[in-house]
Formats: sequence, C-alpha cells, structure tokens
Amino acid sequence: MLRTFLDGLYRFAGYLAGLFLIAIFLLMMGLSLGREVGINIPAGDDFASWCMAAMAFLGLAHTFRSGEMIRVGLLIDRFRGRTRRVFEILSLTLGLAFVGFFAWHAVRLTYDSWRFNDVAQGVLAVPLWIPQLGYSTGLVILFIAFVDEFVHVVRGGDPRYEKPPPASAEEVVERAIQSGV
Amino acid sequence: MALVEISGLLLLLLIALLAGGVWIAIALLACGWVGMQFVGGGIPAGSVLATTIWGNAASWTLAALPLFIWMGEILFRTRLSEEMFRGLAPWLNWLPGRLLHVNVLACGIFGSVSGSSAATCATVAKIALPELKKRGYDEKLSLGSLAGAGTLGILIPPSITMVVYAVAANVSIIQVFLAGFLPGLLVMALYSGYIAVWSLLHPERTPPREPAMTLVEKLRESLNLIPVMLLIALVFLSLLLGWATATECAAWGVLGSLAIAWWSGSLSWHAFWASVMGTTRITCMIMLILAGASFMSTSLAYTGIPLALASWVQGLNLSPYALIAALTVMYVILGTALDGISMIVLTTAVVIPMVKAAGFDLIWFGIFLVLVVEMAEVSPPVGFNLFVLQTMSGKDSNTVALAALPFFFLLVAAVAIITVFPDLVMLLPRMAFAD
Repeated sequence: MLRTFLDGLYRFAGYLAGLFLIAIFLLMMGLSLGREVGINIPAGDDFASWCMAAMAFLGLAHTFRSGEMIRVGLLIDRFRGRTRRVFEILSLTLGLAFVGFFAWHAVRLTYDSWRFNDVAQGVLAVPLWIPQLGYSTGLVILFIAFVDEFVHVVRGGDPRYEKPPPASAEEVVERAIQSGV
Repeated sequence: MALVEISGLLLLLLIALLAGGVWIAIALLACGWVGMQFVGGGIPAGSVLATTIWGNAASWTLAALPLFIWMGEILFRTRLSEEMFRGLAPWLNWLPGRLLHVNVLACGIFGSVSGSSAATCATVAKIALPELKKRGYDEKLSLGSLAGAGTLGILIPPSITMVVYAVAANVSIIQVFLAGFLPGLLVMALYSGYIAVWSLLHPERTPPREPAMTLVEKLRESLNLIPVMLLIALVFLSLLLGWATATECAAWGVLGSLAIAWWSGSLSWHAFWASVMGTTRITCMIMLILAGASFMSTSLAYTGIPLALASWVQGLNLSPYALIAALTVMYVILGTALDGISMIVLTTAVVIPMVKAAGFDLIWFGIFLVLVVEMAEVSPPVGFNLFVLQTMSGKDSNTVALAALPFFFLLVAAVAIITVFPDLVMLLPRMAFAD
C-alpha cells in the first residue's frame, strides 16, 4: 500500500516534470512566433524560467530512483558485500542530511514568499510562492525518496537506485547518452 | 584557520566524498555547507542555499538546456545517420583515406544539431562502423576517428557543455556558441589530415575506390542530406533572422527534430513520451549538480579562497602558456575520474578568477574547457565515447582506447593551436559583438 503510493508519487512528479518540459517548448515557440505576428505572451520569459525550475526539481526523485544521479564509481564499484553496504549507508546518510537541509530551507523560502506576499519583478506581478511550489515540493519528494531508500537499505535490502549492469549493447549506448555529455 | 588550511580541508573533504561514492551533487552541497561554517558574521547557510539555488535555477538561459538535450534524444531515434552516410560517401571517395572521412564529416554535421558527444558518437557509429568494416577499412582507424570525431558534438554548437559553462561562468551563451565554430573546423581538419596521412603511409590497408558514380547519381544520393541540412538551416536561420533568441532557437531545433522523426515514421506516442522522460532525467541530473556547484561557489566566494588563489597564481608570474599547460594536465587527470559537466562546474569557482587574473578571455577559456572535456571523453577509464564504441564494436576497452590515442593527441594539438592563436576562437564572437 505505502509502497505503491510512494512509487506512484515519484513517477507522478516525474511525469509532471515531463509536462513542464513540453510547456517550456511551447512557451518558447509561442514567444518566438508571437514576436513575428505581433502577439506578446505577457511575462513569457518569467514563465519559461519557472517551468525550468519546476521541471528540474520535480523530476529529481524519479531521476534518483532510476539510478541516473551520478556518482564516481571508480572506487566503490570494486567493493562487494559488507564493505559496499557500509559505503552505501554512509552515502545515504549524507544524502538524507543534506537533501533534508536543502528541502527544509526551500520550504521556508516558499513559506516566507507567501507570508510576506513577495511578487515577481517582471511584467506580471505573480506571487512568487506559486512558482516556488515546484521547487520546494520537488525537494521534499526527493527527501522522501531518500528516507525510503535509507530505511530499505538499513533493513538489509539492495539499493534500488543502482542500475544493474547493462545487459545489451543498446543499453550501454543508451546509458552513455543518458550521461548527458 | 588560515585560508590555506580551509582550502586544503575542503579539497580533501571533496575528494573523500567523491571517492566514497557520494552523489556528486550532494558532495558539492556538503562542501558548500562546510565552507559556510568558516565564514564569520553569522550568515545563515540554509537561506543562502535556498535563495542562491532558486535564483540560479529559475533561469531563462538555462531553459535552453533541456531543449537541446531533447533534440539529441529525438534525433538519435531517427534514420538520420543512415541518410548522412549515404549522402556524404560519394563525395569523399577521391581523398586518401576515402570513406573514413565520412566519420569526421558526419560527426561534424551531426554536431551542429546535437549538443552531446556520446549521442553524436553513437548516432554516427551506428551506421558507419558496420559499413566501413564491410568495405574492409582498417578497424582501428575507424574506431579511433569515430571516438575522436564524436566529441565534435560538444565543440560545434549547440552544445550542452557550453550551456553549462556559460551558466557557471556567467558569460553569454551565444558568444560561446559562436566561438566554437572555427575551433570545430580546426579539429575536423586535424582529424581528416591525420586520416589522409595515415592512409598515404599505409596504402595496403586502405580498400580500393568504390565504382565511380555519375554526377547525377552522386547528386541523387546527396538528396539524403536534405533533412539534416534543413534542420541546421532552421536552427541557425531562426537565430540569424532574429525570429529567435539564443535560448529560443533550441525550441526551433526541437520542432525540426520532431518533424524529421515524424517524416521518417519513427515518431509514435510511445517514442515521443520516452524522449520527454529521458530528457527530464538528464536535465534533473545536471541541474542538481549545477545547484550543488552554485552553492559551493557562493560559499567559496564568502570565504575568499578563489581570490586568494588567483592572486597567489598571479604572484608566481607564470607565463600564460605555462598556466594553460598546467591547467591542461590538471583537467586530463580530473577527466580520468569525472564526467565533463562535473569537471566544469567543480572547477569554475576556483579557476575562473585565476585565468581572468592571468589575462585570458572567459569566452576563449570556455572553448579551452570544451576541448579538455573532449580529451576526457576519449581517454580511459571513464571516457563515454570509448564505452559507446566498445559496445558497438564488441572490442575490448584496451583496443578502443589505443585506437583513440592518436585523436587524443590531436586534441592536445588543438589546445596548443588555440592558445598560440587565440584569434581563431575570438574572431566570430568579436565580429558579431563588435564593441
């Protein structure tokens, strides 16, 4: 029950991030074409920036669970069994602490924007807490994913954020491309 | 604690965390936080963290990043590489080295629609590797040239690496893009020159010419190049005609790529959504690293380490050439453990004030960085292009790494050339922004 809910949460936030990508594309096309025909999207550049932030943070938990958050494997990939577990738990603890710290302060930032009624400096005076919602929510979901993994690994489970070694040639190529460079 | 001790401590901490397998972004956040503990005046680390990263992430310039990634994701799944091979092959038969030059040229062309070097390498190798093997070309040279030429994906704009650098160093994306063109041509010329010389020296290992085609046949084959040419034209014309800003031209590129995928029948709903989610994951991965790096840079700036280091390097009175040589060695070493993007964001905070003090232009330095990242891509143990080719050819890692070695040294030569003749890099950006 909880399992299905959590997996669904990460996936749902990931899909939402995907929709924000499409929104960035549509906004930019709209701005670019609109300029030619004299239609102006008010504060379009602000909206694109906010979509970018929402996309970047809402997709984090999904990215983490898909094993695509990169780490240097040169040393730890040589370890198996107990030693490896110690390293995984240390990494997760640090991740838990810093993602938690980050998420907490992102939530505070959003809360302060709401409390002090901060508005955007651009053409449209949008209250800033609305776009900041994607930022803080995404980080909170990432924090939940870290807690989830930490509990799982401490109880003796195998990390779910580690991809199994690639099985086929296509997969290796796919992963190299996923490295983004 | 003195600045020297703080910087030593932070450096050791960073190395320990990275080697211990902590996610790169988290290691950067941790070092940033530790750095903030040494800053007097009770500046709250947490709110600096949240505000800095919000300010950097909600950025109009950065919004181009996922679109350029998306473009490559879509194009990789099309038949573009096959069409390019067929369109280019008839024209290169007369050169010494013959169809091996297709590798260089196809990567160069694909590089001008793709911002990723692994994607460029894989897309071109997918078709060129089996075709060249069938015709009896030397496999070592074929692998090496693909590994080397694949890196053109990040040197010839658009380029994901350049967007990341421009954001990290706070310089104009369009200027870095413009600066990449001539060095891109230079690297292509170096590669093709090497292939030609090698083939002249080893005539017995070069297969004979293909049967001659008439001009009409050649032109008919070249029709295959139309889609990719249209796409390049769309991206750069939209920019030059002022339809789009540097950020918006990425959206035009996505539009064109979707059109090509639709035209070639490879655009199902499933493939479309797969490309969206693939792009989302790469973007999130990069963005969290950028977020961590921006916090660490801010924290370092508070401590004053980068400026102290810059004035120390200035005090050494190194010649500019010695500084660049030292930095090249440092990045080649870093490149054995880190990927290109992490390498850039990890070092800019410290290195930028240093090269600025030594009198280098930051646009020029961006191209230098892209070239050293390219070296990292073709050098073991974590060169992504080597992984791609290793799997696609079924050869072991040593064979591929050795095959790529000459092309690694050609990149070193390219760094030397742009250091001695910086105008090669700066000519286009200066022409476009004459002030």
